[in-house]
Amino acid sequence: MGRSPVIQSPHLDRVEQNLRSRPGHAHDFLGEDRRRLIEILTDDLGTVHAMGLTHEAVADRLERITDAARKGLGDPILLEGRFRTEVQEARGKLPCPWGHPGLYRKSLVTLFRVDTGESLQWTDLSIHLIRAHGFYQGKGSAYRLEPADLKRILEL
Amino acid sequence: MLQTILGLLTLSGFAGFLALCLEVADLYFANYGECAIRINDGEREYTVQGGGHLLGALGDQGIFVPSACGGRGSCGLCKLQVLEGAGPLLPTETPYLSPEERRNHVRLSCQVKVRNNLSIEIPPELFLIKEYSARVERIRDLTEDIKEIRLSLLEPDTMKFKAGQYIQFQIPEYAGADEPVYRAYSLASGPGDPRRLTLVVTRVPDGVASTYIHTELREGNKVRVNGPYGEFYLRESAGDILMVATGSGLAPIMSLLHQMADQQIQRKATVVFGARQRKDLFYLEELEGFKERIPSLEVIFTLSRPSEEDRWQGERGRVTEVIPKIVHPRDEVEAYICGNPAMVESSEELLVRLGVPRERIYYDKFA
Repeated sequence: MGRSPVIQSPHLDRVEQNLRSRPGHAHDFLGEDRRRLIEILTDDLGTVHAMGLTHEAVADRLERITDAARKGLGDPILLEGRFRTEVQEARGKLPCPWGHPGLYRKSLVTLFRVDTGESLQWTDLSIHLIRAHGFYQGKGSAYRLEPADLKRILEL
Repeated sequence: MLQTILGLLTLSGFAGFLALCLEVADLYFANYGECAIRINDGEREYTVQGGGHLLGALGDQGIFVPSACGGRGSCGLCKLQVLEGAGPLLPTETPYLSPEERRNHVRLSCQVKVRNNLSIEIPPELFLIKEYSARVERIRDLTEDIKEIRLSLLEPDTMKFKAGQYIQFQIPEYAGADEPVYRAYSLASGPGDPRRLTLVVTRVPDGVASTYIHTELREGNKVRVNGPYGEFYLRESAGDILMVATGSGLAPIMSLLHQMADQQIQRKATVVFGARQRKDLFYLEELEGFKERIPSLEVIFTLSRPSEEDRWQGERGRVTEVIPKIVHPRDEVEAYICGNPAMVESSEELLVRLGVPRERIYYDKFA
């Protein structure tokens, strides 16, 4: 799970099938990305390592910001003098598409850098997908997090 | 290195082939015939065709066991006690079961296959859960991102529920969902009108259900719901009542107020309704109406970021800033909290610090 190297397996095939069966779905994890899931995972792993990072480090940073932003109870707050963040939460929880135990809050974190104008959005599930599976979602997916963007915007 | 990779690929391929063979064998050669499901020591008994999972078999008999993951084994909600006939515990179940649950034969009903006669225990409240068809009687905007949906029940034409409970609303296939899904919504109407159900739905960005409700659902549409569910209801006691809500979390609070008004419950009650700006408040007229019907009711609105145009003279700040002004140590208070999950958690912790016992703080977790 998110460890190097990423290995093709029947389970990963099932996960990919699960992810691909949702075209145009509200939670379309793969977007327009036609690459195999293993390619997506391997490419992103390579990018993250080339930047001197790990999936855990990226997830940790997102989680710390999320926890701090939650204190706004739905209102935007300014973190570290430059991250205007807001957490919108809906009731209920989402399972992970990898199919293992665990449910994740239906949260949407929006971060806006007041100095550069750049923004990011992620969910609690996004953080888990990065930490546990090295999955930043497919290109074209509404919640794709480009590792390079994360490094630059979050100053990783 | 190449040999290692080839070895791993061969092993993976072989494992996949074996799994496929097992699935085919199970599908074509396993014929379990008719199986009896005995419930609560013979209180009810059903004969079903074996081979499917217990969750689905019970659903076919009109018994709805809560599930948030559509039977995929990833929510852990569909637990039932299976006293006989379930076979060994599966690896897919073990992460969800405590040692005590395992000792008590609790299983995930979505993972238990009906292969022989079963003896199970079902909590009595699950029998009250039914599936209903309903017609959308009215849709109205409460704010720019919250709609009220009023349903009139068709078949069955009444629902018995406790004020504060919720239902599961079926979203059919549409552009945003390639298969029907269910989502939970609290009832805003009171049990005194069992033929109608009122829901309050916030549009959630990319939300499967809320997008459908806000963009596709029309008055006159026929819909399916099941319920009622939940442990969020008014307890019988003499203590003062504190109700805290933000956004669509006001829905079950309205249901509790309907009950208080209909049953002339005289307990002192305070509603704290928080929003960002005046345009985010709703049900103002209805809450005024409740104040007339419930003399002991006080309603406090608080805005966290009122605009200048709001010309707001009321309380300012989040609900967690208002609560300490109302609840004092040693108050005999019972709290009902609903809304933004982070608000619910913060309010609960605050109330505990103010001396309200945790067991007197109620909120709906849904999942």
